[in-house]
Amino acid sequence: MRGCGLVGCLLACLAFSAPASAHRLRLFATVDEGALAGYAFFVGGGRAQGAEIVVTSSPGAEPTRLLTDQEGRFSWKPPAPATYHVVVSTGDGHVSEATVERSRFGGDEPVAASTQPAVSPTAPPRPDETALARLVEQKVDAAVARQLRPLLEAYGAAEARLRFNDIMGGIGMIVGLAGIALWGASRRRRNSGASS
Amino acid sequence: MAHIPDGVLSGPVLVAGGVLAAGGIALALRRLDEEEIPRTAILSAAFFAVSLFAVPVGPSSVHLLLGGLMGLILGSAIFPAIFVALLLQSVMFGFGGLTSLGVNTFNIALPGALVGMLLAPAIARASASRAAVLAGIGSALAVAGTGTLVAVSLALSSNDYAASAKVMIATYLPLMCIEGLVAGFCVSFVKKVKPELLAPVPAGA
Repeated sequence: MRGCGLVGCLLACLAFSAPASAHRLRLFATVDEGALAGYAFFVGGGRAQGAEIVVTSSPGAEPTRLLTDQEGRFSWKPPAPATYHVVVSTGDGHVSEATVERSRFGGDEPVAASTQPAVSPTAPPRPDETALARLVEQKVDAAVARQLRPLLEAYGAAEARLRFNDIMGGIGMIVGLAGIALWGASRRRRNSGASS
Repeated sequence: MAHIPDGVLSGPVLVAGGVLAAGGIALALRRLDEEEIPRTAILSAAFFAVSLFAVPVGPSSVHLLLGGLMGLILGSAIFPAIFVALLLQSVMFGFGGLTSLGVNTFNIALPGALVGMLLAPAIARASASRAAVLAGIGSALAVAGTGTLVAVSLALSSNDYAASAKVMIATYLPLMCIEGLVAGFCVSFVKKVKPELLAPVPAGA
């Protein structure tokens, strides 16, 4: 039993020390005009349809449950900007998760009062400076998010891609293991042959 | 599918799976003959490569498992073969997890080993076409066995990720057909070209 515990601890340590790893099921989550949106996809192609999405803002908080649509997409408008943890589960052992930081929502901080010199009385009437600044920030956020999204999607897909070199490396390791086993077996046979 | 990631299964299930898989591997390694090592490695490499590639089916995605075919050719040596391949998949690609390695190994290897134990003698004696049919049925059963074990592992862990019967049937049923066909073709080919591969090894040793 002690041995089992030790092995268990070792495995747990290994699992926690492992770098952020790819899963067969992947979750892409981003902020789209204030809504938490994205999709669940499988490495190698295909989207997870009808998969359950669970969104939590903090540990212990009441989670929000959604289902992905026919194209694996989901979208949810959170009540307030916060750091959200998103978990997707397809119901056959595929699980993946992603975290969307609070800062990604943006545009909610009160905008500092403008320090520009007062406009001359002859200038045409202008809208409220603070409101204008906020509007500009929102529009810029939206534009940047729109431009950035394909890049983020491509990055997610590239990270999850199966690389030929890695596959060949794995096969090479198996061949090497077989070689070691054969070498060990032949040594053992030679030794037993010499002693008899 | 059969690669259950870390953080899904409960502790007792992980430990039980680890112990069972370790038992299977120890038993198989003790019985592993020197001449079987290259064969085991080749099928391990085949499983490693083939089960990386998933095809979208219905709401989920599936990949070949080859459990039945490996069980027929390797017998109990399927345990180390699957273990090594899953370990590499987990470390290199993050498919499955290191803590769930034992459970995943057991879920794929046990049905394959059982199919091999039950059907290998009959297939060794049968004609090529009959052997293909038997292997096809055996492989489909091995896939069903793996699916059942995956569902049981998830259910025993009793958390949010319990398997939904609808998804399991939608993904494993097509896979059973495909696996059966693949195994049938492979066995009928091997039967014609190199029938001694399918001879039960203990009889030859």
